[in-house]
Amino acid sequence: MISTTAKARSGRGSRRGADHGAWFLVLPALIPILVLSVGPLLYGVALAFTDSQSGRTTATQWTGLLNFQDLLHDTLFWDSFRIGLLWAVGVTVPQFLLALGLALLLNQNLRFRWLARALAIIPWAMPEVVVGIMWRLVYNPDAGILNETVRDLGLGDGRDWLTGLATALPAVILVGVWAGMPQTTVALLAGLQNTPPELHEAAALDGAGAWRRFRTVTWPAVKPVALAITALNFIWNFNSFALVYVLTNGGPGGRTRLPMLFAYEQAFRYGQFGYAAAMGCVMVAVISVMLAFYLVGRLKGGDDQ
Amino acid sequence: MTIRTSRSARAGQYLALLAYLVFLAFPFLWLVSTAFKPPRELGSLHPTWIPHSPTLDNFRQAFDEQPLLAAALNSLVAALSAAVIAVLLATPMAYVMARHRTKLSAAATGWVVVSQAFPFVLVIIPLFLILKNLHLINSLVGLVMVYVVWSLPFALWMLVGYVRAVPRELEEAAAVDGASRLRTLVSVVAPLLAPGIVATALFAFITAWNEFFFALVLLKTPSTQTLPVVLTHFLGAEGVADLGPLAAAACLATLPSLVVFALIQKRITGGMTAGAVKA
Amino acid sequence: MRGLTGRATTVRRTRLGAAAAVLALLLTGCSDDGRGKDADGVITLRFQSLAWQKESVDANRELVDEWNAAHPGVRVEYVQGSWDSVHDQLLTSFEGGEAPDIIHDASDDLADFAHGGYLADLRELLPARLKNDIPRRSWQTATFGQGVYGVPFLQEPRVLIANEKILKASGVRVPTVRNPWSWAEFRQVAKELSGGDGKTYGVAWPLKDPVSATLNLGLSAGGQLFHRGTDGKVKVRFTEGDAVVPRTIHDQVGTDRSASAATLGMGGSDTLPGFFGGKYAMVPLGFSYRQQIVQQAPEGFAWKVLPAPAGADGPTQGVSPQTLSIARDSPYKKEAMEFIDFFLRPSNMARLAKGDWMLPTGAAALKDPALRAEKDGWATGAALAEHLVPAPAQSVRGYPEWKDKVATPAYQEYYSGAIDAQELEKRLVEDGNLVLARYQR
Repeated sequence: MISTTAKARSGRGSRRGADHGAWFLVLPALIPILVLSVGPLLYGVALAFTDSQSGRTTATQWTGLLNFQDLLHDTLFWDSFRIGLLWAVGVTVPQFLLALGLALLLNQNLRFRWLARALAIIPWAMPEVVVGIMWRLVYNPDAGILNETVRDLGLGDGRDWLTGLATALPAVILVGVWAGMPQTTVALLAGLQNTPPELHEAAALDGAGAWRRFRTVTWPAVKPVALAITALNFIWNFNSFALVYVLTNGGPGGRTRLPMLFAYEQAFRYGQFGYAAAMGCVMVAVISVMLAFYLVGRLKGGDDQ
Repeated sequence: MTIRTSRSARAGQYLALLAYLVFLAFPFLWLVSTAFKPPRELGSLHPTWIPHSPTLDNFRQAFDEQPLLAAALNSLVAALSAAVIAVLLATPMAYVMARHRTKLSAAATGWVVVSQAFPFVLVIIPLFLILKNLHLINSLVGLVMVYVVWSLPFALWMLVGYVRAVPRELEEAAAVDGASRLRTLVSVVAPLLAPGIVATALFAFITAWNEFFFALVLLKTPSTQTLPVVLTHFLGAEGVADLGPLAAAACLATLPSLVVFALIQKRITGGMTAGAVKA
Repeated sequence: MRGLTGRATTVRRTRLGAAAAVLALLLTGCSDDGRGKDADGVITLRFQSLAWQKESVDANRELVDEWNAAHPGVRVEYVQGSWDSVHDQLLTSFEGGEAPDIIHDASDDLADFAHGGYLADLRELLPARLKNDIPRRSWQTATFGQGVYGVPFLQEPRVLIANEKILKASGVRVPTVRNPWSWAEFRQVAKELSGGDGKTYGVAWPLKDPVSATLNLGLSAGGQLFHRGTDGKVKVRFTEGDAVVPRTIHDQVGTDRSASAATLGMGGSDTLPGFFGGKYAMVPLGFSYRQQIVQQAPEGFAWKVLPAPAGADGPTQGVSPQTLSIARDSPYKKEAMEFIDFFLRPSNMARLAKGDWMLPTGAAALKDPALRAEKDGWATGAALAEHLVPAPAQSVRGYPEWKDKVATPAYQEYYSGAIDAQELEKRLVEDGNLVLARYQR
């Protein structure tokens, strides 16, 4: 929201010293952005203050903060929100660590590196729906490979991963990690490759071990990329939808009902447009605040060192 | 590399690499394996990696059960249109953003970043209501409009990187030679940008090809639905999914994006880095 | 084709301007929504069916083909829908003006659509034959306020499917529709039929969707759960009658260990392998699951259909019949009703019932001897037909949301022992009324 007002202001500002050529080049993209992105966003925020519902029998009315009041008491939404945070952290952190490991490996002069690079791309290129379907096959209690492996290893009969109250969320989180790893790896790898090798060599000459070299040379170099990609991953993960829609549809008993799915259902299953828009607003607000804290904290932490 | 790595460390590295390879590949291999299994094997309590009697029946059945071809065509039309239009719109703007450090460029860059944080749900409700009034629900036209706007941020991001990589001096030289600004753009900048534009378009293509959420909300009948939406129809009520055809259809739906992705793998990484480093 | 219906909206559409024109040029695969008349005056009606088992898809398609052969002026186009996503799909279709003309759904899904003004009130359209053929209690399931918004045509009671060998060996009294088990008796029988060693169980409750099972069976014990106040607003209240069925299931799982805890999250079909293998002596299932049993049971496996246990109110149970409705937007409601009338002729209704292994609502169709045979338990089902009443929450606005968001997780957690009865009641009532209130402002 801040950015839209900022944009409106800067738009007015630059019109005075108009560079007509530039405007001519910008308008074709700017108009659709304003009409189909900024516009709907403002419309959506406005909807949050109405009782907009599906159906033709009642007209939409302004209801002020009523939706937000309701939301405050909606324990289900907050449960879902908690699950969303758990999911977002649970996916983002392992995703980052695993991706960092893979990126470090790929940055080494190893054989079969090409194979790993090619494979690492697969999850990225796949439609999310296919990723979901694929893992459903893996998790299938009878025909799935996971339970078969568990049985082969003599670890019992296996379980119904996606419908068990205790296992559903971890199972879905694993899929999230798998699906998001490539992007993170690629970004980190790019960061790594920007580290000047001379620094490594100098550090090695000084007798620094691998861990110290990582701390003093590698990490400072990839840190900006790492920060950016973690923040983005966190947002993307928090907003993810297709995976859980296909894997569990929010079940069992709402244990994997991420906030996006919750809001989707509210809007397009139960037709509560206004209420769902209010959820969207709350989601943006909370996430923005959390991210601001995260980034500020991280950047400060960097200054101290 | 002048830093020597001890042998045990090397071994550890290969072991780790192997673990990654297994983790990344096994679900995909399982999908492919399932796609070729006859129903009897799928129902057995002890599934195997390699089908005992591989069959193509699942693929045939997949086409029988759901309108896969029509869905693939819908996906193709939507993704192709979205990619072409997005690049046509984004390239000029990216040029301005890269070359002119105006407030507008700053705002546009800000929007690129912020738009990544939109929860789609806040946008899709109003979009749905707007498209409804335009009678563009259940129409690929409406979907493409959404896809274009939705793929613009990343397209801009990548293209700005590519434009920056084109030496300014070339343009200045052309200007000195008396070429008009538009001519410079068309005859000097565009050819140098072409590979980047193609990569961006292909990326937008994949994004649209894979997209599910907007398609789910906006497309209502089997005759307009795209592949990801049609795929979910295989997941019947009660989760009694017909596993074989489901896996077969999923394999087919993945092929195009894998091929396209293989084509542009290098460029994507290049483009992302360019944008990330210089922005 | 769009031009015909779109004339009134051209003004609005021009706002789109050039961008849309370019897009439209690029997009050859424009949707043809199949609505309206073509040049020859042939009307096309879209019929979205949710049939999914092969037999019933075939029955549906055959009937559509027969209609099309006999009615060249009104073509019916078969569109395949799916139970899984029908509510979302219909809601957005209605909102987007893209709904099918003839809509197959279930009565407990119709309330919000009827209130939303999307469905045509059928009272003026219904032919007398159809009106008289289907009993009043069935019509009630599709009546919201004053209007009738769907034709209920197929329904299924919940029955106990038992392994005949285990049942006979135990020597317990075999219940009949006239003389069913009480809930207490049922609990006792389940205990006797279970091995008690955690290997075999008297009963397996497949409760992936616990709400309709619990509520519909709960009617037998007098549970209503939803109560309409004098102001016309509906509230949830949890009474002793509402507690009977949940407590029985909970105690079977938690105390007696006569019911398997592992099946609580399963769908009905998932329990069949264990049932065939003798792991479970009885499985409470919808009447139509008999089809899967007939298809999948190993050779020589003997099974029997028993009526569900009865409470103070006899073997009464709630049902939400499958329905056919007409979209209010459809310009050809009369023709659509003619199709429905044809589709639900007694002989056709019986065909559909056989295809889906369910009971027809129509009195004439129910007389079909094939639907009263002893074989495969048809007779037991037919005898239960008169005890089927509208499911408790039929007409409550917001019921689908209450069911998905509040009740499903609450019952699931209660049955698995994660929460106690008090917490169950608290969630159903407090969280539940919050949801319902949003719909009744």
